Amino acid sequence: MTKTSTRRGFMKGGLTAGAALATAGLVAPARAGGDPAITEIQDWNRYSGAGVDASPYGKPSDFEAHVMRRNVAWLTADPVSSVNFTPLHELDGIITPNGLCFERHHAGVAEVDPQQHRLMINGLVDTPLVFTMADLMRFPRENHIYFLECAANSGMEWRGAQLNGCQYTHGMVHCVMYTGVKLKHLLAEAGVKTAGKWVMPEGADASAMTRSIPLEKAMEDCLVAFKMNGEALRPEQGYPLRLVVPGWEGNMWVKWLRRLEVGDEPWHAREETSKYTDLLANGKARRFTWVMDVKSVITSPSPQMPITHGKGRTVLTGLAWSGAGKISRVDVSLDGGRNWVTARLDGPSLTKALHRFYHEFDWDGSELFLQSRAIDEAGFVQPTKQELRAVRGANSIYHNNGIQTWHVAKDGVVENVEIS
Amino acid sequence: MSRFLKALAVLAPFLITANGATAQDADAGAKVFNKCKACHVVGEGAKHRVGPELNDLFGRTAGSAEGYKYSPAMTTAGEGGLVWNDESLHAYLVAPRSFVKGTKMAFAGLKKQEEIDNLLAFLKSYSSDAAAPQEEEAKPEEKSEAPAAAPEKKTEAEIPPPSAAPATAVATHGVFHLGRPATGDEIAAWDIDVRPDGQGLPDGRGTVAQGEVLYSDQCAACHGDFGEAIGRWPVLAGGLDTLTNDRPVKSIGSYWPYLSTVYDYIRRSMPFGDARSLSDDDVYALTAYVLYLNDIVTDEDFELSRDNFTAVDMPNKDGFIDDDRLSETHYADKAEPCMKDCRPGTAEITAHAAVLDVTPDGEDDGEGAPSIE
Repeated sequence: MTKTSTRRGFMKGGLTAGAALATAGLVAPARAGGDPAITEIQDWNRYSGAGVDASPYGKPSDFEAHVMRRNVAWLTADPVSSVNFTPLHELDGIITPNGLCFERHHAGVAEVDPQQHRLMINGLVDTPLVFTMADLMRFPRENHIYFLECAANSGMEWRGAQLNGCQYTHGMVHCVMYTGVKLKHLLAEAGVKTAGKWVMPEGADASAMTRSIPLEKAMEDCLVAFKMNGEALRPEQGYPLRLVVPGWEGNMWVKWLRRLEVGDEPWHAREETSKYTDLLANGKARRFTWVMDVKSVITSPSPQMPITHGKGRTVLTGLAWSGAGKISRVDVSLDGGRNWVTARLDGPSLTKALHRFYHEFDWDGSELFLQSRAIDEAGFVQPTKQELRAVRGANSIYHNNGIQTWHVAKDGVVENVEIS
Repeated sequence: MSRFLKALAVLAPFLITANGATAQDADAGAKVFNKCKACHVVGEGAKHRVGPELNDLFGRTAGSAEGYKYSPAMTTAGEGGLVWNDESLHAYLVAPRSFVKGTKMAFAGLKKQEEIDNLLAFLKSYSSDAAAPQEEEAKPEEKSEAPAAAPEKKTEAEIPPPSAAPATAVATHGVFHLGRPATGDEIAAWDIDVRPDGQGLPDGRGTVAQGEVLYSDQCAACHGDFGEAIGRWPVLAGGLDTLTNDRPVKSIGSYWPYLSTVYDYIRRSMPFGDARSLSDDDVYALTAYVLYLNDIVTDEDFELSRDNFTAVDMPNKDGFIDDDRLSETHYADKAEPCMKDCRPGTAEITAHAAVLDVTPDGEDDGEGAPSIE
């Protein structure tokens, strides 16, 4: 993000554009001769555009240049070991475009030559093995759409409303279709010994990320993926190979995956002791908190997506997801949780994937307190932030799935707030 | 870019592949073969000696060389479908007696990948079938006929092996027979993880005083002279008994449950931007120094090694509990949520993000805000 594109600048830009649209929509009948967008011949209607050789790998319209990942510079010590955020407020449906999937890496984006990439399986196996990428392409493949959420998503909001935009409060999540090989096939190829109870994936990057995954999960639904949304993984998502651990915290989805070790005990790596453990108010910390709990957020209206059309028909939309499976219902409140209506889920409902919801209503121009509340197929209900804080305190960092409140002012400006 | 250059760019990956495939060095392999010469002969007029002659080895069914007395294990392996090719010879040469349990070949195996590659390149030069070494499936008649022609009379003179294990003697592992066995050197190069029980700790040692020198040079710029951290880099020391505070300090001393995590993490990831550059001794020394920064050891002459490593207890080793989120009432209840008049009164704002204003490019970026690290 450049220094000139400040949030306020962006917001103003958004409002200006919105106002122009509103003018076009509402005031046009009063304009003599009609809307110039119609009455005047536009350049694109008159002149030929670019040819098929202009953009061999296509990119979004220049008018969408503001739709991008953004980082929060003060959040971490260095952008090389940091995070940026998916622009959820600009997206629709359930699939995240590859170039907009948030990034989190611990030693920058490794540039791995796939010809030189190897995946090793060692430890408590009958035959320690080495696979090339070509070897992996000869296993049976599967396609699955899964969300990936960082355990620290919304982690800045434990003490109260901090960041003004769902990109920042909830943008450490994305959802793509992965193509890969079931981890159980790879493990079976090496032959897991009966003493093997844990699997440790390791990355090839300069952080050599490791985590401990119980064998049961590894055999259940983990994938070793090489494609996302049909094309090769992006470098920042682990090209050429990453682990997919459906429904579990993103840190376990080791990128640039080069090794899987089978063991009889967990390893207690840095990322499962010092980090990704959840400190409670009593000074004890929960460890191995793998599952991402039921969660939702309204992506529009939201602070980066104010209501610019004035009173009348309004589309509210958002995302819901749960590491426990499918989302069975999303409720929406316009009055800060006093009264709720059930939103309309649309699009595919897939286990451990993002779900899209809508609620269309007529805005009367009064102040609103927007909330969404997801319920998953296991029956778990998304809790309020107050409920979470009452049990866990404010220093857990991870696994904040509390209900988000957006305040809509009478002028349509939206803000991240905490309410009574 | 000219069309010619573009064509080269497209070809580049294939050129690399081709180079990789020819990286085996038959001349170097001839030297490696010196280790085999006591028992094996290859080349024109080669005869069986202690071991079978090795002409046309590639594509040969195991245990099928005419006139050689094989172990029952090797014969059985051939009957089970073992054909000598790049993959199977690789696996065999790494550890002959575990690949074909009961083989007569007493050779311990070649530990270096490069030696095996070169040796195989050398042997290939005496094999007419080496052009298609991977296609073992394409030779059904050899599988069914060759072993049948060989066995009985050849095995008579042999001492029975301690355990003939045909199940493990087949050439292929697993279900799809994909990948190849990892060599000992390969596993050693990557398997550097260390567990709390000390599994994985390498040989070596280092003192607090040695660690201090390394730390000043390579760590203090980010972590601070006393582990207090510069900016938002991780705090390494201090914070003891702060975990119940409003603003806890989670340092190695105050929070980390196991010393093994310190060794493992420094060894694999530090120093930031130059990972894997420290020796095992360096990592012992730095781990010792981190203990010193946290007053867990107080003697500058303290030396940490594999021998005393697991005797060090971290202050917060009992500070962790397993995941019990689902016992929280908001989950345990699984109650049908309220839909109408759920809270009293109207909503009042108690906190604004705009007041804290730490959203990127606000005027007071990040002042007083917590880190996700």
